Amino acid sequence: MSLEILAAGVVMAGLIAYAMFGGADFGGGVWTALASGPRGARQREAIFQAMGPVWETNHVWLILVLVTLWTAFPTAFAYLFTALFVPLSIALLGIVFRGAAFAYRHFGASEGTELPATGLVFSVASILTPLFMGFAIGAVAGGRIEVEDGNVVSGYVSPWVQPFALACGLIAVAICGFLTACYMTARTDGALREDFRRRALASSVVLGGLTTAAIAIAYWNAEAFWDRLSAPGPIVVMLLAVAGGIASLIVLWRGLWPLVPPVAAGTVALVIAAWGAAQYPYFILPSERISDVAANDTTLRFFLVALPIGSLILVPSLVLLYWTFSENTDPARRTTARGRAQR
Amino acid sequence: MFDTVTSARALMGLSLAFHIGFTALGIGLPLLLLLAEGIGLKTGNPLYREMARRWSRVAALLFAVGAVSGTVLSFEFGLLWSRWMEFSGEIIGFTFALEGFAFFTEAIFLGIYIYGWERLSPVAHWLCTIPITVASAFSAFFVISANAWMNQPRGFELVNGQVSDINPWRVMFNPATPYQTTHGTLAAYVAAGFAVAGVYAWAMLRGDRSEYNRRALVLALAVAAVATPLQIVSGDLSARFLARNQPQKFAAMEGQFKTEKGAPLRIGGWVDVNARETRYAIEIPKALSFLGYEDFNAEVRGLDDFAQDEIPEPRLVHYPFQVMVAAGFFMLFVAAWFFVNLWRTRSVRPGRWLLYAILAASPMGFIAIEAGWFVTEFGRQPWIVWQVMRTSEGATPREGVWVLLIVFSLAYAALTAGLLMLLLRWRPHLFEPRRRFPEVPRVT
Ligand code: HDD
Ligand code: HEM
Ligand code: HEM
Repeated sequence: MSLEILAAGVVMAGLIAYAMFGGADFGGGVWTALASGPRGARQREAIFQAMGPVWETNHVWLILVLVTLWTAFPTAFAYLFTALFVPLSIALLGIVFRGAAFAYRHFGASEGTELPATGLVFSVASILTPLFMGFAIGAVAGGRIEVEDGNVVSGYVSPWVQPFALACGLIAVAICGFLTACYMTARTDGALREDFRRRALASSVVLGGLTTAAIAIAYWNAEAFWDRLSAPGPIVVMLLAVAGGIASLIVLWRGLWPLVPPVAAGTVALVIAAWGAAQYPYFILPSERISDVAANDTTLRFFLVALPIGSLILVPSLVLLYWTFSENTDPARRTTARGRAQR
Repeated sequence: MFDTVTSARALMGLSLAFHIGFTALGIGLPLLLLLAEGIGLKTGNPLYREMARRWSRVAALLFAVGAVSGTVLSFEFGLLWSRWMEFSGEIIGFTFALEGFAFFTEAIFLGIYIYGWERLSPVAHWLCTIPITVASAFSAFFVISANAWMNQPRGFELVNGQVSDINPWRVMFNPATPYQTTHGTLAAYVAAGFAVAGVYAWAMLRGDRSEYNRRALVLALAVAAVATPLQIVSGDLSARFLARNQPQKFAAMEGQFKTEKGAPLRIGGWVDVNARETRYAIEIPKALSFLGYEDFNAEVRGLDDFAQDEIPEPRLVHYPFQVMVAAGFFMLFVAAWFFVNLWRTRSVRPGRWLLYAILAASPMGFIAIEAGWFVTEFGRQPWIVWQVMRTSEGATPREGVWVLLIVFSLAYAALTAGLLMLLLRWRPHLFEPRRRFPEVPRVT
């Protein structure tokens, strides 16, 4: 396998990790906005506590994707950030306000100096960010980014204000909501867990509906993507993703709580991998192949050697982090749980 | 509105200036945490653990803002400088990729540290400060080495506009790297030390000379007192490096227009770009030649001696340089005063004037950092990659950058306002053990 394909695999893996981990933090904002019923406040609080220690680490996956693009696909990086100037700017604003609102809220809660509206800002920004990132991904797959002689010639809106790209934005939000609800079922119990279970079931149905709709839309709005999707490789991955979706429904339905987070994460990984498989060997559909936009081999080699070495530090540290904070975060139960978190 | 390049430069400068304020504390505070909690463990004095606990709260807050503002920078490399990144990405991207690992390590252990006060044993908890401190210094090293490459681009060949023969080690360890990374990283310890000291000096000025405040003050100033002289020495080395390797920047820093043997060191003054001279400065005869080249009669090249479309705007470089140096010597003076006072009285009893001086010094580290970066960045102009690519060639082809400039200026204003509202009501100097931590006794 050539170096640039491996590097493209790293981009894909980084995006999947960002979706699996970071996505759940954005979903936290979705369910903060949609918290309802007699336990609304407890739902919010449980999410807030679960996110605290991990969201900054989860965010670094995005940085990893970006630096991989710089290093291994600088040309693609330039094309994407030129073509998707508008949606990426809005996603960035969302990232800024999401992060700041969460941190301010956390500091305020622990020091008794709460600021107004941080919860609202947090929710709105958490929804906007995946929505616009989804638009951007939809534009990459949708084939409306036009590059001629190394210059982006498509306009500010035409690549992403397209039915297919818009559907991808909604899918991204649904993925986030689905993941959070699933993860939270494993970290709560009793009535609160029921709340999250119902949310997880609802969002998996929404996600299934949206992906089906997106594939149908692709038929007339993203022809290049549709063509590639019907090749054998992508079809296999897609079928696996469907199987994952069904498995998530089963484990949620039967209440197999420890299995819910991994199955949900696996499903999301497969959905994204299906997109990746369909894109291959293109980086930006319909014209830019992975090899057209890759860096030279020396750089790729250095990067691909540094990656596993860095992972030797990274992976055990990540395991330590998630292991340290993997327990129940229901505020009503935390008083009895081992080690109340800071407040 | 403004054209793309002007807006992009303004927004980039604003975003970087914002980011560096937080990351200076992001690099400096972990060292203070390491020391405070470590001393607490070693001496068993609970005050230190409480100190670390409070600092860690604000560290969590500032780190988060540092992380989001850093993300802004990463996006801006694409949104504002796509053509520059298209060219440089494969050369310096590797450096940033290594930085990514440093970020991960830092974020992971910070999460464990901040949220793990009750979950980890005291020793394990303290151990977390080590990877945080080390990783944050490494992130600074990597990113500053990328910036050093922009000043001294090495480790690649340019054939017909195509980059080839990349050598990532020579990129990362380019000639400017040792000077810039040392000076740029130490700066964070100077700034953090004085910033923290200011809080406790202020509390003492208001009459609260509790043991907690005194110990916190000594600890913060000890870090600053070690770092400041080193910082000044490394600044001097940087300047001498520039004299030889970026003489245009050096001339702009010093307000030197004419090429001159035995050039004087000009302190302050008014840079008159029309008359092409620096007026009303305090001039120390021959000192500049000596500082730059260790020879009182060495020739210093002036700005007029270079191609006029390849020199920076001297006013944007000379004044910030004066500010940085002045701030540096002021901080050195305050640190020396404090420790001489400590040594003479054998106790922590700073008088009012000394406390005022510490208070005055407390923002100086940040001021010097911002000023120093202005020297570096404005002094590199008109190049984005020195003598390889002009800033105007690196910008995005998109038109709407001025909209981003306005939107992000407002966003920074909102973030700053929120932060001030949080921090101005925060009372890190009031030591009041809480019921939840019964093991910490009250000390008066
Ligand atoms: C606490 C902060 C601080 C203090 C006290 C000083 N500096 Fe500084 N200086 C910085 C913080 C800084 C910085 C913000 O960190 C810079 C910007 C780029 C860099 O690497 O460091 C910098 C850059 C910088 C440069 C430009 C380097 C380049 O463009 O390659 C020079 C020549 C100096 N400094 C020289 C000095 C001298 C002679 C000082 C003596 C008082 C001094 N600095 C004090
Ligand atoms: C964090 C401290 C820094 C500050 C305060 C700072 C400040 C500035 C300022 C004021 C400008 C505008 C200069 C002009 O156009 O006249 C600028 C430009 C720029 N800086 Fe920095 N800088 C910092 C660090 C860095 C680092 C570490 C890098 C890269 C690794 C970097 C990359 C750039 C780029 C790409 C530009 C735009 C191109 C240019 O104007 O030359 N900066 N910065
Ligand atoms: C000299 C200048 C710089 C220094 C010393 C510096 C240092 C740091 C440090 C210590 C952090 C950790 C977070 C914190 O402490 O708040 C951080 C975060 C970050 N910085 Fe910078 N940085 C600099 C310039 C840049 C530039 C030019 C970029 C853009 C490419 C950048 C991108 C980032 C990103 C993306 C993060 C967030 C990482 C995370 O999610 O944890 N930084 N920086």
